[in-house]
Amino acid sequence: MQSESARMSSAAEARYRIDAPNSQPRAVKVIALDAPSERVVKMLAERKWSRATFFTASAFGDAPKAGESFAGWLSDLAGRTKNLVEEVDAADLVVMVAAAGESAQAASIIGEACSLKRVMTTGLILGGADKSDEALSKTLSHLRPWALMLVVASAEEYVEDMLRALRA
Amino acid sequence: MLRKEQNDLLTQTGPGTPMGKMFRLSWQPALLASELPENECPPVRVKLMSERLLAWRDTQGNYALTDEFCAHRGVSLWFGRNEENGLRCPYHGWKYDHTGQCIEVPSEPTESGFCKKIKLKSYPLVERGGVLWTYMGPPEMQPPLPEWEFAVVPADRSFTSKRLQESNWLQAMEGGIDSSHVSFLHSGELNKDPLFKGSKGNQYNMGDMKPVFEVVESPGGLYIGARRNAEHGHYYWRVTQYVLPAFTMIPPRADHPVHGHFWVPIDDENCWAWSFDYKVTRPLSEHELTAMHEGKGIHNEYVPGTFRPRQNKDNDYLIDRAAQKRGDTFSGVYGIAMQDASLQESMGPVVDRTKENLVSTDNGIIMARHRLLRALKAMEKGEIPPGIAREHQQCRSAAVVLPPDQPFKEAAKEALVVQAGKEHATV
Ligand code: FES
Ligand SMILES: [Fe+2]
Repeated sequence: MQSESARMSSAAEARYRIDAPNSQPRAVKVIALDAPSERVVKMLAERKWSRATFFTASAFGDAPKAGESFAGWLSDLAGRTKNLVEEVDAADLVVMVAAAGESAQAASIIGEACSLKRVMTTGLILGGADKSDEALSKTLSHLRPWALMLVVASAEEYVEDMLRALRA
Repeated sequence: MLRKEQNDLLTQTGPGTPMGKMFRLSWQPALLASELPENECPPVRVKLMSERLLAWRDTQGNYALTDEFCAHRGVSLWFGRNEENGLRCPYHGWKYDHTGQCIEVPSEPTESGFCKKIKLKSYPLVERGGVLWTYMGPPEMQPPLPEWEFAVVPADRSFTSKRLQESNWLQAMEGGIDSSHVSFLHSGELNKDPLFKGSKGNQYNMGDMKPVFEVVESPGGLYIGARRNAEHGHYYWRVTQYVLPAFTMIPPRADHPVHGHFWVPIDDENCWAWSFDYKVTRPLSEHELTAMHEGKGIHNEYVPGTFRPRQNKDNDYLIDRAAQKRGDTFSGVYGIAMQDASLQESMGPVVDRTKENLVSTDNGIIMARHRLLRALKAMEKGEIPPGIAREHQQCRSAAVVLPPDQPFKEAAKEALVVQAGKEHATV
């Protein structure tokens, strides 16, 4: 008699894998950390997404100045201030996008909010191939402490490919 | 997830398919040299990328890889007589030389020269590192012979095996770069397997079950760095190499031989899992070779006389539920290779990637697919895909302890390429 595994791993049986959805949409917040990545993120924001939303932190430094609130450390792409902690709290994943050679300093504040709210973080560094190692390590050193997964990609399209792969 | 069209594009490798074209543009391992041990030995059936071929060795020692079937009435030449510089079909006596050229059609007058009009498709077949390699692409684009380090070190320093995997090549290859499964599926083996145990790196592996990953594009594919905490605030990095389309290399452990794989499509529902182990500066020891022959490490035992693993889907991979419960092995299946194969075959012949839910730690897999899709597009525009250039093949995996701020790609630059006469960087 054929074993259970032999029968069930056949192409004929594969057709009976049930078609019910096995996940719910995930809320993914994509945050540009600098001006070059803001341009990429803006383009992406115009496409159709399930539950991905897009922001920028490119105007902010690594710590609030006197009188600035930590909560307002983020803005949407139209320039309206957003509450960072609230946004992070509502996220399943926060993706920080940085251009190689840029300082990515907002990563620490966003990372801190994510670690406070126990939210998974991914860092994407774009253009790693054409930048010097020194420039790249500057970006890396800001992102590494705060990204639980870090990707150094040469092509901008990787951001979209990754978000689609994650069903964002 | 992938859309259905993308999944089809990456998993189909038959003649005329884009992914099949990419495989055909580089040298692929076809069979072990030991399968054709002497001149005029019995021929061997070889199916690659959905093409049925026959490998054989003529009276002079020329290797041949030809169409499996006789041009006359389609008999399998596996039944042929390997005699006097050619393979003769046993049905009506047509005879072929090692290039596939028909050299005798006994029913026709020799003078008519009819046999010159008959030629079987054939591909070059060349021995390197105990492996017979073939190139199935257009002759004018044939690259120089493969330069993978395991295939060019002296013969006593390397050991290669192959096993049949009853699944599509892509889900097998993706297992090779899925670094986050090691601390689970193979957790039982790290400290027991003779080809893995006793390395300092294993302690880091087991002490820190949740590595942080860094996926970095490389010229030939990608590096997947798994970062764990080591002493004094340093990081222990294990860097896996993936080179397009189907080469993966696992980071070394202590002084053990370094290993890796090729995942070569047989057809769209089966592939060859090639596994190599080598050292650069010393011969493999008696002890290591015995372990490899016994199927330890990344190798496996066989159904006698075949390349099908002894643990296979027909016997439920000899899963041992009591061992699973006791925690001797995480899944209850013994052996690293079969732990992987059992799960990858259980996905079905071609896994439906429209149903998967990838997470952030799967970025290695996501990037590999992205590189493949990008390379396919570029190939359509006439670019040579990654993995063919000599520099892409002369790569190494590495295990290194680095200070916290250093990018592993930079700090381990030398460790990630072949250094003649120097061992791998390992912990
Ligand atoms: S936990 Fe990864 S396939 Fe099930
Ligand atoms: Fe594995």
